[in-house]
Amino acid sequence: MGARLDLFSAASTEGAWTVGEVTKRARAVIEAGLPPLWVRGEIAGFKAWRSGHWYFSLRDKSAQIRCVMFAKQNFMLPAPTDGMQVFVFARPSMYEEKGEFQLTVMELLSTDQGGLWKLAFEKAKAALTKDGLLDPARRRRLPPFPRRIAVVTSPDGAALRDLQAVIGRRWPIAELIVVPAQVQGAKAEASVCSALNRIARLPVDVLIVARGGGSVEDLWAFNSERVARAVAAMPMPVISAIGHETDVTLCDLVADLRAPTPSAAAEAATPDRVEVLAQCGIVGQRLARALRIASRHVVERLDRTGDRLVRCMESRLEKSGALLTAHSARLDALSPLRVLGRGYAVARDKNGQILKRVAQLPSGKEFRLRVTDGEVNGRVQ
Amino acid sequence: MAEFSKQLERLEAIVRRLESEDLDLDEALKLFEEGVERLRAAREQLSQAELKVKKVLEIESPS
Repeated sequence: MGARLDLFSAASTEGAWTVGEVTKRARAVIEAGLPPLWVRGEIAGFKAWRSGHWYFSLRDKSAQIRCVMFAKQNFMLPAPTDGMQVFVFARPSMYEEKGEFQLTVMELLSTDQGGLWKLAFEKAKAALTKDGLLDPARRRRLPPFPRRIAVVTSPDGAALRDLQAVIGRRWPIAELIVVPAQVQGAKAEASVCSALNRIARLPVDVLIVARGGGSVEDLWAFNSERVARAVAAMPMPVISAIGHETDVTLCDLVADLRAPTPSAAAEAATPDRVEVLAQCGIVGQRLARALRIASRHVVERLDRTGDRLVRCMESRLEKSGALLTAHSARLDALSPLRVLGRGYAVARDKNGQILKRVAQLPSGKEFRLRVTDGEVNGRVQ
Repeated sequence: MAEFSKQLERLEAIVRRLESEDLDLDEALKLFEEGVERLRAAREQLSQAELKVKKVLEIESPS
């Protein structure tokens, strides 16, 4: 409610206004007469306050205007730099305490190709490149059989649902560790960084950072240099699945692998258990074959030894047989039966004593006479 | 339960040893038995049906 403008009283000192009344009045006039509008100009004297509010001037060749852009309007925006040509959508107003005409900026766009986003992206990318963080040689290989898979994503997004379904189908042996994070909005950058810090301390084999598609502003946290550096510093391999295939974020660039979608990230992170089972079958076959071969060696050796044993016994037996034949021939030659066969006879008394001399055979002596085919009794005459 | 990748590594080593070395039957049999047991354990792990999901906020105590 400004003082009524009375030209007569204003013309004399009695009707003088206070400073506050003038600025208040001026503010009302300005705000009523100039609706929010787009203004084009060059940024000068840019300053971001700790509170998050931005202060700068917009100028052209002939004039300049003070501008303020509050934190709640600029939180997702990369900061502009002096000399940058921009468009602002702003409400003209009066900063009463200083009596300054100013624009309260609600939107700020760069007139450069791609706008502020592009510029900030390129700047951060250059910084990361300089530190070697985008070097492809840094990329680590993913573990073939992960035991623990961590996921940083929104706890109630489609991304988590997709990840869980794919990992559950392909590799349910793994444990899925979900670290919920705010993936868009003012707190996204801090939330994602703190989730990453938490996971860095856990025994995790591979990490998936996921977020469904969205506008450049929605993906802002994943284009923050701070998040990119946190991802690059993770002790385990990281798969990034941010937005759609067309939006490459800084997070994608520093990750060990970039997947076009959360489902693709889950597939990259896991083997398919059906294939692994088939592999196990092959290993089983190799195992059986290897045992067969190993035992065949042993059996062959055993066989060889057995053969030698048998051969050895046989030859010994052969030798023994020959000896036996020789012995029996000699025995045969010596046999008294052979002698009797030639016509000799043997006389023995009744005690079996052989009677070789005349003295043993007095007249009337009875004896037995052995001839070749039997015995007969006899008496000396 | 042994880690799956360790299980497979050991299996691979067993098969290679069985395939390449001139082992006596006793040792070969021992290796074979270990291989079969590990293969059985690996298959059992693979047939596990349910994915375990943990939310970190639930398992982490505030420090």
